[in-house]
Amino acid sequence: MRQLLLITDGCSNVGMSPVVAAAHAKAEGITVNVIGVVERGESISSAEVEIEEIARAGGGMSRLVNTHQLSQTVQMMTRKTVVTTIQQAVNKELRQVFGAESVEALPPDRRGEVVRVIDELGESSPLKIALLIDTSASMRPKLAAVEEAIRDLVLSLQSRSGRSEIAVFHFPDSENGEGCVCDLDWTDNIAGVKRILPRLAMRGTTPTGPAMMQVIDFFRQGDYGRTIRGEMDGMTGEDVV
Amino acid sequence: MKTSSELRLAPGTVITGKWNRGRYRVERLLGEGANGKVYLVEHSRRLYAMKVGGDAVDLQSEINVLRSLASRRRRTEPFLLAVDDYVHRDGKEYPFYIMRYVRGSVLHEYLQREGADWFPLVGYNLLGKLAELHEAGFVFGDLKRENVLVGSYGRVELVDYGGATAIGKSVRQFTELYDRGYWNAGSRTAEGTYDLFSFAVLCLHLFEGRRLLQLTKTLLPQNRSPADLIRLTTGHPALKPFAGWLARALGGEFASAREGAAAWQRIMYGGGVKPARRRRSTAGWAAGLFACTMIALAAAIVWMISEGMLPTGLS
Repeated sequence: MRQLLLITDGCSNVGMSPVVAAAHAKAEGITVNVIGVVERGESISSAEVEIEEIARAGGGMSRLVNTHQLSQTVQMMTRKTVVTTIQQAVNKELRQVFGAESVEALPPDRRGEVVRVIDELGESSPLKIALLIDTSASMRPKLAAVEEAIRDLVLSLQSRSGRSEIAVFHFPDSENGEGCVCDLDWTDNIAGVKRILPRLAMRGTTPTGPAMMQVIDFFRQGDYGRTIRGEMDGMTGEDVV
Repeated sequence: MKTSSELRLAPGTVITGKWNRGRYRVERLLGEGANGKVYLVEHSRRLYAMKVGGDAVDLQSEINVLRSLASRRRRTEPFLLAVDDYVHRDGKEYPFYIMRYVRGSVLHEYLQREGADWFPLVGYNLLGKLAELHEAGFVFGDLKRENVLVGSYGRVELVDYGGATAIGKSVRQFTELYDRGYWNAGSRTAEGTYDLFSFAVLCLHLFEGRRLLQLTKTLLPQNRSPADLIRLTTGHPALKPFAGWLARALGGEFASAREGAAAWQRIMYGGGVKPARRRRSTAGWAAGLFACTMIALAAAIVWMISEGMLPTGLS
């Protein structure tokens, strides 16, 4: 299972459309979730539409939250997406075995066993989550909360029985402002990492689309030489929640 | 994401199950859990609680827990009574289940109304419930004030099993304030010690709520620690006898909820608990008068018995 979680607070303004990039991700079997972080009194209504569209194209969900809700939202989205991904794969099986379209279509007394399987797979399937963090100027006061949410997510992932890894990226990269930088390569433990995100002043551009494409590429590099591809394909449903 | 928040059932609405055709009349909303809303319903002239969810998979996970609990304690009154789907006018389907209606108030309201004298007993009963759950192979997960109902004479019932998790798995649902991960005090793996930590925070929340919430506002995430919580255990007279117990629970030192309950019980009957001072103490002369009345009454009864004036059933 592969997820890309974008945390941002504004519209993209450089390069490829992030909606297109999200569609690319989905085609690669990566679910894209988006969290828009707003502070009290702050309005990002222009970005709201884009955030929703990115999530829709990426087969995931979107939420607007303030910094206090960030940790909980990251947790909730990750868990929900895991269940949905498994559910889509299971629904495929259900069509073949029971002729039922989904879990909901089964009579209640037959759901129990199916849901037990969903819960078990959700707990034990390997999971990779790439977090892509917008660190443009307006995000700077929110980065401490983002970092806390990342640590909190890792804590939760550590109690899963399946292998769970995260990677962290930020954008724009300070050099040319058109891509992202990898802050943390795939890992399941960040106890020794003092600071994940840089606290430097960033340039004003927001190249969300190009940054997402780089992360998708990073996922692909991670897959080279691995044989689990076929296994993962079963997990990538075509239905969107 | 689908949520149940869209569905509101007005009192008087009659719901018919899609599969089993059971009819349930909505009386009122009882509360809202993580996976759905709970209503008081009437069915064949009896009252039940009905949980209506937005997501069939989430609700079914909860039902699975309730089922496996039921299979372990056959002799008690069944908690889960029916599972079905409700088809709304707009064609959307909402899964629901019917459970026993537990009369009672949420924990903090009960203690406010009935007094802190009840706290040690209610705490002990709650620990017993947790121990029972752990011995069935589950951890409650989302223990908080709202999820504990107290009925007559301090009887305790856990409600909302949305966070209940098989031991060894990752806790499905939790509330930050009660979560040991939030306080940098351990993992989110479902273990007995996880619930006991939440139980200890729950006790603090009941009597030191303001100072507890103050901690969440002032401490930086990396600085939160169980030591900050332990400092809150000695301030309030209701908590003080249990300070040592709470420190052990916050430190994850009890091997099981059963062991924790036994230790709690020893404190409860060990003379460490002083009764809370009565708000309206009975004046001395009134107590004296009352004693005189009782003596007079007893004398009258003795006289009546000796004269054979009482009905045979009473003498």
